Amino acid sequence: MKLIEALEILRREQPAQGQPLLVSLVSGFTPLHLQTFLAAQLRILFPDREVKLTPGLYGDFWGNLTRLEQANTDAGVIQLEWSDLDPRLGLRNLGSWAPRELEDILQMAKTRVSQFHEFLPRSSAHFPVVVCFPTLPFPPAAYTPAWQASAFELQLRECISSMHMSAVRLQNVRIVSSQQLERLSPLNSRLDVKSELASGFPYKLPHASTIAEIVARLIRQPTPKRGLITDLDDTLWSGILGEVGIDGVSWDLEHYSHMHGVYQRLLHALSEAGVLLGVASKNDPGFVRKALQRKDLVLPGSCIFPLEAHWGPKSESVGRILKTWNIGADAIVFVDDSPMELAEVKVAHPQVECILFPKEDPQAIDELLYRLRDLFGKNAVSREDAIRRESIRRFHELGDEDGRQAKTTADFLKQAEAELTLNSQKDPLDPRALELVNKTNQFNLNGKRYADASWLNYIRQPDTLLLMASYRDKYGPLGKIAVLAGRKEGHALHVNVWVMSCRAFSRAIEHRCIEELFERHGIEEIVFDFGATPKNGPIQEFLAEILGDSPAAQCRLSRNLFRERRVETFHKVLELTNG
Amino acid sequence: MDELHVRLSRCFSAIFPSLSSERISKAQSSNVEGWDSVASVTLFAMIEEEFGIEIEVQDMEELLSFERLFGYLQQKLGQNR
Repeated sequence: MKLIEALEILRREQPAQGQPLLVSLVSGFTPLHLQTFLAAQLRILFPDREVKLTPGLYGDFWGNLTRLEQANTDAGVIQLEWSDLDPRLGLRNLGSWAPRELEDILQMAKTRVSQFHEFLPRSSAHFPVVVCFPTLPFPPAAYTPAWQASAFELQLRECISSMHMSAVRLQNVRIVSSQQLERLSPLNSRLDVKSELASGFPYKLPHASTIAEIVARLIRQPTPKRGLITDLDDTLWSGILGEVGIDGVSWDLEHYSHMHGVYQRLLHALSEAGVLLGVASKNDPGFVRKALQRKDLVLPGSCIFPLEAHWGPKSESVGRILKTWNIGADAIVFVDDSPMELAEVKVAHPQVECILFPKEDPQAIDELLYRLRDLFGKNAVSREDAIRRESIRRFHELGDEDGRQAKTTADFLKQAEAELTLNSQKDPLDPRALELVNKTNQFNLNGKRYADASWLNYIRQPDTLLLMASYRDKYGPLGKIAVLAGRKEGHALHVNVWVMSCRAFSRAIEHRCIEELFERHGIEEIVFDFGATPKNGPIQEFLAEILGDSPAAQCRLSRNLFRERRVETFHKVLELTNG
Repeated sequence: MDELHVRLSRCFSAIFPSLSSERISKAQSSNVEGWDSVASVTLFAMIEEEFGIEIEVQDMEELLSFERLFGYLQQKLGQNR
């Protein structure tokens, strides 16, 4: 982004409604254009919020860091540079670089590291914090030539590594990737000496713009894609199965097809991190099933569900896979080596991200791996990620022969040995709750998404009630699948948030949750902060069924009405008391 | 109006959004509200980026009006006709 573009974005009319987005920026230098770029990037990512960016005091990085803890803000951004460890490491300070002084600089840096260890956990307890460690070239302070690493520089880098390690362990802290920064902003194009001397702003504009873009993306992390559908021939492996046979397809160095193996390795890693993998291939299904049983596959065939191998259009395969996974087209990626197949799928499913597998170009395949990591990247891997594929497979197996979602009967539920574990603890707050709230579309009371800080603020209000439900039955666990939050006012409970994973449908869990709310809180009425969205049909249907009418904003369900209309449930309810 | 004038006006407009196009041509630091040192630094950085030039620090003090900047750019870009 160019500076003029950033200013023009900021000139656009601010949104009249919506809460302001408050961001505190901690740096030791004048943030000047970095502030402009960051505000513009945040305006793009938060179009419905007025962005208010607050910088700290010039030359007082550590004071600014200390004050961050008390800031009324939605997010903090810490931009550290070498000169913040000791001013002598910056251009504007003329402190000595004499060899005898280096130890003193190092000691000062170590003191700063201790301060960092002390203050970062405190700030990040209240709101998410993005940290960007030194980006500028290390100054020629040591006595070695530039091509020789000095003990002084390495010890200072060790200090920075130690800060990295303490930061990465904190749940609410996100760190700018120095490798990504290096890819986008080469080291020798970062420092602007003239600007640093004239105005105290040390970055060239493209570097400031790149940092701002990455930081903004860490403040508003994109929702990761949830499923990947891959082609087989000349994609998952090299060769056409129908032509070369099961033993003829390859993914190894010997056959110059190694990058297909590397692609398989990435898909396996994605699968283990909870990404759903499906196959859409124009092939003989019997052949495919046998090929996927090959023991030397880097991606075990068992990671793939469902498998669509036939001679029909791939758009139909993609449609069926989406139905089986029960997720939206915008949550998946389709990879194929044929531009024609990609185009055919794109016409039928415009929201699917279609990506060409560049089978003839190993370098481009390597770049594809980075792209897929970006599309599916997440902060952490949860227990639910590990069981997602199996729970969908089991649910599908319980469906009818056409693969349609099983219509659950009381008889089925009675014998399922279902256990519902409820957790109403707010401290420590489980990050899975916000993850569910922000990614669930179908059974979602109003579709509202929350930034980390606003979710923390909401949940930590003393009168906010939280209920998180985990489910398992004799067919296996589903993990944490529902979140309900609201406030009690007199004899009514106002439910602001209610989401449930689509994997948990048809098990009467929603009925049991309502029943628990009435019983636990001794209330006579539940008021739902309902809002229709283009995707929340399932909760609309449930509310219509239980209310006897189409749901509207602030719709109410009385205890008596619920008694009349509820379905019988057979869950054994457990209470989680130790987090 | 030539292209250079239009491009420089766009820079001014980005930093001083309340200025009309007539006032931009007559703008100088003494008659534009908000034209302080930060605005100057931002304006020079933007002009350098937009026109791919370097403005010497010692020249900056002299370039505190649209007219002077326009002349400076004409000279730098070899457009002095």
